[in-house]
Amino acid sequence: MDKNRNKSSESGKRKLNCSDESKCFELLESILDGEETSSSKEILDEKLAKCQPCFEHYHLEKVIREILKNKCTKQMVPAELADSIRQKIQEIK
Amino acid sequence: MSEVQRKKYSDKEKNSIFDHEFMPHIDSMYNFAYRLTFDEDDAKDLVQDTYLKAYRFINSFEKGTNAKAWLFRILKNSFINEYRKKSKQPSKVDYQEVETYYNSDNVDYTMTSDLRVDAVKDMLGDEISNALNSLAVDFRTVIILCDLEGFTYEEMAKILDIPIGTVRSRLHRARNLLKDKLRSYAENMGYDTEEE
Ligand SMILES: [Zn+2]
Repeated sequence: MDKNRNKSSESGKRKLNCSDESKCFELLESILDGEETSSSKEILDEKLAKCQPCFEHYHLEKVIREILKNKCTKQMVPAELADSIRQKIQEIK
Repeated sequence: MSEVQRKKYSDKEKNSIFDHEFMPHIDSMYNFAYRLTFDEDDAKDLVQDTYLKAYRFINSFEKGTNAKAWLFRILKNSFINEYRKKSKQPSKVDYQEVETYYNSDNVDYTMTSDLRVDAVKDMLGDEISNALNSLAVDFRTVIILCDLEGFTYEEMAKILDIPIGTVRSRLHRARNLLKDKLRSYAENMGYDTEEE
């Protein structure tokens, strides 16, 4: 299967077990949340190149964030809401 | 009193702050309110109440600072104090449960997920939105603030009145719960989620 072949050829370059998953995943999630500084970008690149569990975790977390942002912010604001707020403000002035 | 130090805004300044710093966030505010209440009318009321409070307390807002975080904090407090009470859902129990069992700052980051990127990418319908909506309100809230609205951990800590460590751990747990949901959807879609 295509998926499996990709997976094994990719993981060929990377170690299959993470030496410190707990710390790595915490770091990866902070980076995705924009919390880490520029120096952590280098650590990130190294982890993604060398560690399969980190690579997989990073990409899964990344795609979930992207899809959340694309799918869950489209709530239509009722047209009259802004006007109704402005009107209420006039009343309490 | 701290208010004494802050100068009072003129009516003109108030209107300017309201129009240029508060109102531009109405879309985000409504989205947040709707995802908290799941009801269009409740969401409208909640946003309207928030803006009225914001106007009433406008002198305690410092012009040019983070209006969005300031407004979100008011909205979240209004939700807890007023809307949660009248909600039919047993969210009070829910909330305490969360506080008691899930607020430890020690999270196990090694809990790996066998959910596949491909499976998530194929979720083109409402799965992700439904998964988000199925989470308990405290978990839902951190994901909305972080992933939908892009607040930093520090801003979230202020909006929610919790330490940054708790923000971080609650967010991690929330995402794990979300992944559990998505995994069950993926199984229904025929994806093999078992590791080979
Ligand atoms: Zn690793």
